[in-house]
Amino acid sequence: MTTAQNTDAEDGGGPFTNWVKSAIENPGKVHRAMFYVALIFFMFTTLFPIYWLVVLSLTPNDLIVNMGPIPRGFNISVFVDMWQTVPLHQYMFNSFVIAITTTAYVLLVSSLAGYAFGRLEFRGKGGLLLLLLIISFFPPAAFILPLFKLFTGNVVLFGLHSPDLFNTVGAIIVPFSGLFLPLSVFILTTFYSQIPDGLEDAARVEGTTRIGALFRVIMPLSAPGLSTAGILTFIAVYNEFFFSFLMTTGQPENGAPLVWGILAFQSQYTSLYNYMAAASLIGILPVALIVVVAQEKIVSGLTAGAVKE
Amino acid sequence: MGNVTLEHVTKQYDDVTAVNDMNLDIQDGEFVCLVGPSGCGKSTTMETIAGLTLPTAGEITIAGKDVTKLPPKDRGIAMVFQNIALFPHMDVYDNVSFGLRLRDFETEEIDRRVERAADILQIGDLLDRQPSELSGGQRQRVAIGRAIVREPEAFLMDEPLANLDAKLRVHMRTELQRLHKELDTTIIYVTHDQAEAMTMSDRIAVLNNGQLQQIAPPLTCYNEPANRFVAGFIGSPSMNFIEGEVGHDGFESEFISVEFDPTAFDVSVGDAVTLGVRPEDVHLTGEAGSIAHPTDPVDTVTDVIEPMGNEIFVYLTHGSRERTTMDEEQRKGDQLLMSVDPDVELSEEEAVTVRFDRANLHLFDQQSGDARCHGLVSSHSTATSEQRTTAED
Amino acid sequence: MATEHKQSSGFPRPDYIIANKLEGLPEELYAYLLLVPAFFMVGAVALWPLVDTFTMSLHADALTGVSVGDFIGIQNYVDVLTGQRNAVLPGSFWYAVGLTVVFTVGSVTLETVVGLAQALVLDQEFRGRAWVRMAIILPWAVPVVVQGMMFYLLFEPSIGFLVAPLQELGLFSSTPLSNTQDSLILITLTDAWKTSAFMALIILAGMQSIDRSLYDVSKVAGATAWQRFKLITFPLVLPAVLVGMLFRTLGALKVYGVIEVLSGCRTVPSMTCLVISAFRSNRYGTSATLAFLTALIISAFILVYLVKFVDSLRGIGGSA
Repeated sequence: MTTAQNTDAEDGGGPFTNWVKSAIENPGKVHRAMFYVALIFFMFTTLFPIYWLVVLSLTPNDLIVNMGPIPRGFNISVFVDMWQTVPLHQYMFNSFVIAITTTAYVLLVSSLAGYAFGRLEFRGKGGLLLLLLIISFFPPAAFILPLFKLFTGNVVLFGLHSPDLFNTVGAIIVPFSGLFLPLSVFILTTFYSQIPDGLEDAARVEGTTRIGALFRVIMPLSAPGLSTAGILTFIAVYNEFFFSFLMTTGQPENGAPLVWGILAFQSQYTSLYNYMAAASLIGILPVALIVVVAQEKIVSGLTAGAVKE
Repeated sequence: MGNVTLEHVTKQYDDVTAVNDMNLDIQDGEFVCLVGPSGCGKSTTMETIAGLTLPTAGEITIAGKDVTKLPPKDRGIAMVFQNIALFPHMDVYDNVSFGLRLRDFETEEIDRRVERAADILQIGDLLDRQPSELSGGQRQRVAIGRAIVREPEAFLMDEPLANLDAKLRVHMRTELQRLHKELDTTIIYVTHDQAEAMTMSDRIAVLNNGQLQQIAPPLTCYNEPANRFVAGFIGSPSMNFIEGEVGHDGFESEFISVEFDPTAFDVSVGDAVTLGVRPEDVHLTGEAGSIAHPTDPVDTVTDVIEPMGNEIFVYLTHGSRERTTMDEEQRKGDQLLMSVDPDVELSEEEAVTVRFDRANLHLFDQQSGDARCHGLVSSHSTATSEQRTTAED
Repeated sequence: MATEHKQSSGFPRPDYIIANKLEGLPEELYAYLLLVPAFFMVGAVALWPLVDTFTMSLHADALTGVSVGDFIGIQNYVDVLTGQRNAVLPGSFWYAVGLTVVFTVGSVTLETVVGLAQALVLDQEFRGRAWVRMAIILPWAVPVVVQGMMFYLLFEPSIGFLVAPLQELGLFSSTPLSNTQDSLILITLTDAWKTSAFMALIILAGMQSIDRSLYDVSKVAGATAWQRFKLITFPLVLPAVLVGMLFRTLGALKVYGVIEVLSGCRTVPSMTCLVISAFRSNRYGTSATLAFLTALIISAFILVYLVKFVDSLRGIGGSA
């Protein structure tokens, strides 16, 4: 939008001419003013929806009608009562099980692959890496039908029925373990390739195998990379909607994660808006904490791929 | 017994042969330097011995055991790396004991060995430090400590002193020699620095283009280089080479002639040869009396003079030629470097006559570079001298 | 002198035995072996499903159980593309494509503009910058279901204060969450709210990799702030912006979750919505056809990526 304004101004004539003139006469001041306007605008737009959740959760439900931007009351007990309506803790526990298991598995498997891609020479390296990347771009909708067949025991291989994982956390963990793998492989390939050859050589001469050197030297020294890959995987899994929603019928004992917990309020208690808002706030809490603690890792992980170009 | 042998070891990469048919036989307790310019294959040779690279062909044995296909950890070797390669996430004690802990040694035995190594290397008070807190020399000692606690069949050292400053490097050289004496274990040492190789090793293996040029004690490599490459690589400053051919009266070139009887040596008339003479074997006529077998005088003009303190390097050019008409290439080919005592007074563009020490002249085949003969002293030398006098008349 | 293996205790660990066995393998074989677990997973949950989806799309709907009926060749594709299956879907395929593309163009454009502006703000030196950056990243980390819930609570007419004024201005209907056009705008806004941080971070990284002395040079040469942006910042961050836009496009084309929470697939039937509603009514053949068509459309964009960026990938991947 700034672009448009300035283009007009350069053409001369427009209503912005005066504004531009004053800007030229006093560029520093105007520049600074624009900066603060933009800063406040972005802080407002990003934080307002979250603030809105706070407003709604603190307002007693019978007062929630045509709300203004100020809470009507301070009903903190909603954060206690809510749990009795829907066992959100059970849904969140499932989410944690799914996210932690997937993250651990992804880190292990992508460490092996990252070691191969980052430190070994073999034919077809570029092609295989590209294949992984392309797969991560495909829509989950293209995978859901066969995976649903697979997890409902409807795929027969060598006379054996596939395991009936539907309605367990397994049916969500398995697809995630494959689909969130490429990102970690990319991050770890970059990190592992930067460990000096001499350190791995030294470890191998001292008595480790190549795998031993990976676990004893390369991985400890790539701890920042591992935590970046781990945090991004954890957040991605925790936030995921598609498989989390479709691989279970929605009961907490059937492995249903946070998605179903939040939706339970919307579908079963259609007018308990303060509970919906409170549940949403609780749902954000774990990832918000991660953002506060590990901001740097998230930034480096998200930008690693794109800035390389 | 920690002897190490390489038989026909070849390492082929896609389009490069890094090591070509290498044969080495290193005795138990011997200190051998692999020396050569960068890219000569010395590091690859070392890597094949360590097992970090598998050779394309050939066989390697360590202590009588065929290790060609064994991984590094099962070869009974320890290694010190150029970049030192201490594990940054472990303290000094953990670095030094790493290999022992991997092999499930008992704690008391580990402590005993670490203590002994720390004593030898004087790093006892550094054991709980992190590598990042150490100086360059201390890190190098720790890296050596990590190697010696293993009590290996052989130590492999890949330019371990290359990253140290000059003063520390000279100091560590003597330390390593002392260590070798104390441990009495085979050491294979890679360096590009011929002076380091000369001072430290029992034998030097000179490599070039992936091929072994010569393996011999340092002085043999110096006095009887197997070929022109070894002659040029060993010794600093480098040997002078003058291209010419064998005539009836000896070596002949535009610049310099050396009379000898071709029949007395392994050359025949018409052979294209290169004469090799080290700077310290070029003498001013005035002081040539001190050598037993001087050649006849050669007229030259001094060019650049470089006083080094303990000696002076004098670049000599062809006396009869006008220097300004020569281009760079010609000048280089016709240049002769002489080393003289620091008290000799010379100025630039001064005409001087020099003689060579016959005993230390070398002839190399121009085609193959192989040495044809070392020392042009024979029973006929007096006769040739007389012949020359006649010719001059 | 020899110090070989001094095993202190009984059985060696089995993982050590395996690692030792593998140690003798040549490097290339070893590398392939390390890739087996990764490619097994990816093969099982992505490659095989893609092929199987295509196979299913060539069969008729069975309407009972988790299976498809007879082989009917490309009949499903003909029916879906000519609109003969519209009766069993929340909308026609082309309508879904249209909606999805409008959403994608809108949200990616908005994210790029907002992301660029946010990056320009974050590129300044000021106190509390780390906190501002944190606030900007926070939406990115919000789960999709909460993201949908937030905007549901903001635009549900009975509670929020936003709907009434927007309606009076004539911008929204009285029930924006069940009106396709209004919902599409809201979904675009919520997507931009959540993911412009991603664009901002990528653009910011691009900006911060610019050699600062270029700015000093241009200042000395008398360039205004706008000229500096136009002549230095923009051209140098453009590659990063394009990569980010492509990533976001690929993501936006898959849109589903937020629709499900905010207004439902009947109101805004995106491509993925069609796949899921056919799947839920046991029309596996139709669903597979829609899924494969969706994958094809996204492949076209992946192809753009490959053509543009395969060279830079070669840098990471070594010999191709």
